[in-house]
Amino acid sequence: MQTFLLEWRLALHSRLASGAVLLLLVLSALAVWSGMAAVADQRAALARIDLAQRDDVAAVAEKYQAGGDAGYAAYSTPHLTVNAPSALAFAAFGQRDVQPFSLRVRLLGLQSQLYESESVNPELAAAGRYDYAFVLVYLAPLFVIALMHDLVTGERESGRLRLLASLPSSSGTLWRRRIALRYGLVLAVLLLPFLVGALLSGASWSGIALFVAASALYVGFWFGLSAYVAGRVRTSAAAAAILLAAFVVLTLVLPAAANAAIDRALPVSKGVQISLAQRQEVHQGWDLPKPETFDKFFRTHPEWRDTSPVTGRFHWKWYYAMHQAGDDAVAPRVAQYRGDMLAREEWAERLGYVLAPVNVQALLHRAADTDLRAQLAYQERVEAFHTRLRQYFYPFIFNDRSFGPAEFAALPRYAGEAREGSIGKDGPLALLVLAALAVFLGLRGVGRAAV
Amino acid sequence: MRQSSLRIALAVAREEWRAMWRNRVAVTAGVLLLALTLAATLVSIEQMRAVNDERAHFQASADQQWQSQPDRHPHRVVHYGHYVFRPLTPLAFFDFGVGPYTGHTLFLEGHRQNSANFSDAVQSSLLLRFGQLTPAFVLQTLTPLLIVFLAFGSVARERQGGQLRLLLSQGVPGRALVAGKLVSHGAVALLLAAPALLALALLAGFDAAIRLEAALMALGYALYLLLWTGGAVLVSSLVPRARDALLALVGVWIFTVVLLPRLMPDLANETVPRPTRIETEVAIHKDAAKLGDSHNPDDPYFSKFRQQTLAKYGVSRVEDLPVNYGGLVTREGERLTSELFVRYMDEEFARQERQGGIVGAAAVASPVIALRRLSGALAGTDRDSHQAFLMQGEAYRYALIQALNGLHVNEVRYEGDRDQRVSSALWRDLPRFAYQAPATDTLLRRHVLPALALFAAWLAVLALGAAWAGRRLERTLK
Repeated sequence: MQTFLLEWRLALHSRLASGAVLLLLVLSALAVWSGMAAVADQRAALARIDLAQRDDVAAVAEKYQAGGDAGYAAYSTPHLTVNAPSALAFAAFGQRDVQPFSLRVRLLGLQSQLYESESVNPELAAAGRYDYAFVLVYLAPLFVIALMHDLVTGERESGRLRLLASLPSSSGTLWRRRIALRYGLVLAVLLLPFLVGALLSGASWSGIALFVAASALYVGFWFGLSAYVAGRVRTSAAAAAILLAAFVVLTLVLPAAANAAIDRALPVSKGVQISLAQRQEVHQGWDLPKPETFDKFFRTHPEWRDTSPVTGRFHWKWYYAMHQAGDDAVAPRVAQYRGDMLAREEWAERLGYVLAPVNVQALLHRAADTDLRAQLAYQERVEAFHTRLRQYFYPFIFNDRSFGPAEFAALPRYAGEAREGSIGKDGPLALLVLAALAVFLGLRGVGRAAV
Repeated sequence: MRQSSLRIALAVAREEWRAMWRNRVAVTAGVLLLALTLAATLVSIEQMRAVNDERAHFQASADQQWQSQPDRHPHRVVHYGHYVFRPLTPLAFFDFGVGPYTGHTLFLEGHRQNSANFSDAVQSSLLLRFGQLTPAFVLQTLTPLLIVFLAFGSVARERQGGQLRLLLSQGVPGRALVAGKLVSHGAVALLLAAPALLALALLAGFDAAIRLEAALMALGYALYLLLWTGGAVLVSSLVPRARDALLALVGVWIFTVVLLPRLMPDLANETVPRPTRIETEVAIHKDAAKLGDSHNPDDPYFSKFRQQTLAKYGVSRVEDLPVNYGGLVTREGERLTSELFVRYMDEEFARQERQGGIVGAAAVASPVIALRRLSGALAGTDRDSHQAFLMQGEAYRYALIQALNGLHVNEVRYEGDRDQRVSSALWRDLPRFAYQAPATDTLLRRHVLPALALFAAWLAVLALGAAWAGRRLERTLK
């Protein structure tokens, strides 16, 4: 115990060390605060949108007090869907700053509405959000390097290394104790603000546990790497240089290169093609004989086969059949598009098996439900809601029933319950292996520190 | 400086080069960074070409779909709409800027202003956030770090090893010493940037239109790297121990390149709130309803419009007008809503400009922010270029839709309006969308000259600092 206290005082004696620890605490707290502010902003925006939406629908319903044409009511009424931030989104904001977190859809073809983008300031989006995940992935390793690079070389440069080596207790214990102390300090200072934020946000215990475990493993990885280098080089400057080079390669160069490779290997031009194809399909319907459009529609909606044929120039049921036929025609492309985007995600996850920063980033954002998968899942929920809407409106449109206040009151509502992220198996396991490897190497490297 | 001082400085520089050449680690690191810069340049050029080809292909598809429409009612064509795609400018390979975060596809139709869709950011995994391997990324983020590694010990190590005392006692002026170090490391810094700068030079050679932009781009990056060199050598001469110099310089790199560019946007976001797309849509919808509802027969605005139109043509009934009243109403409705679109767009751009101003305020402390502005502006991939695309897209949409509405007015009879079709020859040859990048003098005024002025000011400060440090070296050893 006394030794620990002594080591504690020694560790914080260096102004660099105590300054670094304090700075990391400030930066981590700032990140958590900033993340929580961002989440609060989005929640406030959703509340405002909800109010605006109610006004909008009320304005439309006004005109149908005495009942009216269901087709036109369906055309004018927007329906709101939301993707509220999860409890852990404050810590790993992910793509929430660029993806739309609320979409309005009408009864028209969904594929022309689903890919609307949110209004963002691209300059701010390009920088990325300052959140806990950023501090953990980018800043924590730098602090680890600051604290660890002169672990052995500091003693050597002060001339104390020979003295330490001559002490009766094994030198391994000494280094392990020092590393453990620094590790504990860094982890405590990182996690304290996060835990406060997580409790305030009402995060689940499994989510918190994952964040803590991921932080511990990732910081452990960097400590292991730093220990390995610290024990093997002759000067502090060399140690700092090598570790910074490792940092740059692992967190900047390799992920960027891999991203470029994945992008080229898996192009996602399908999105634009879907838009072009769907528009063409829908508008061609205006020039085709109506029975042809209805045939296409009845293939996927046979329950409406017995509806009376359309004789005049225009009928709303023909209009909506046209739009749905357009969506059906591009359904294979949509499946391919989603598949391509999921493939990109999967390859990024595979990269995480060898690159710890990529691993941790993927892990945290999946747990916070703020990655691309989360957005694709949201799009699928919107699609399911759109189907419910159609099932609600079609009886009125196909049977020429009047649409009035009672029908407006009974409109399907999007169920926007709070979502939780998920925790995979392969990612955490890979991180565990990487961290264990680094720690093993580190302890051996430091144990062999030459006098 | 006197001529002998100059010769001494050059001799010091040569010695420094020789020392660097003998340092295998330094040479390896330098070669690796050169290879990375070269790879980034080639990969980016190839990627830009692929992206441009793809967008040109899409534009051709969209044009072809437009051309091959059958005879239709003009209002049908207004709803059919048109797609435009944003082409990349020749220097976009150097710096992708905000390109990955902006949509490049705009659907133009009547009554609606759509968002620019299908940006890279919404279609990629979070791996994108680690950075894009472009020459700009390497030169802005990685090259300064290597400059720091090479230069941190330039004076400090010699002080620690005792050579400094020896040199100064032999009459080497302190300032000449510092100048020599600056020259040697400055040359190495520019050498590290050579692949990227050469690529700029080659492209400028082929394409006369971008010569000025390429030259300014090269100048901006060169000054930025020289800034880092100056700072590193200065810190090295002021700080006694080499190791402390390294830590101080790395701290500066972390703060200015990694941290500050990430903190300022958050501050901007909190200070200047922006509405979401849905809120804007609802607000526009409300304002439009207040102006007038063209579908409502009792609407005051359109009643007045009817009276004015009847008076203008000197008839008493809408059916007697020589033109299609339905078309006139549609055209007027489009004019009203488009005014709203443009007004809201301008307000949104003003908000983003204020946010940009907050981030830009930190440029004095973090020159990389100014460099990013300069670089993005010259590469045509910054926020201004995207906004230019949106504004030009809106202007083109308005012209196109009103041309079609004009056909509705003049070519379609009021009786049996909806059953008529108009020959496609009438709208097939409407002008195509041609994106014009923002004018060079606007770029210069807003982003390039301020950045260059900032770099020049910093270089002047560092030069003065270096001169002072040189004299200080002599004094402390007396």
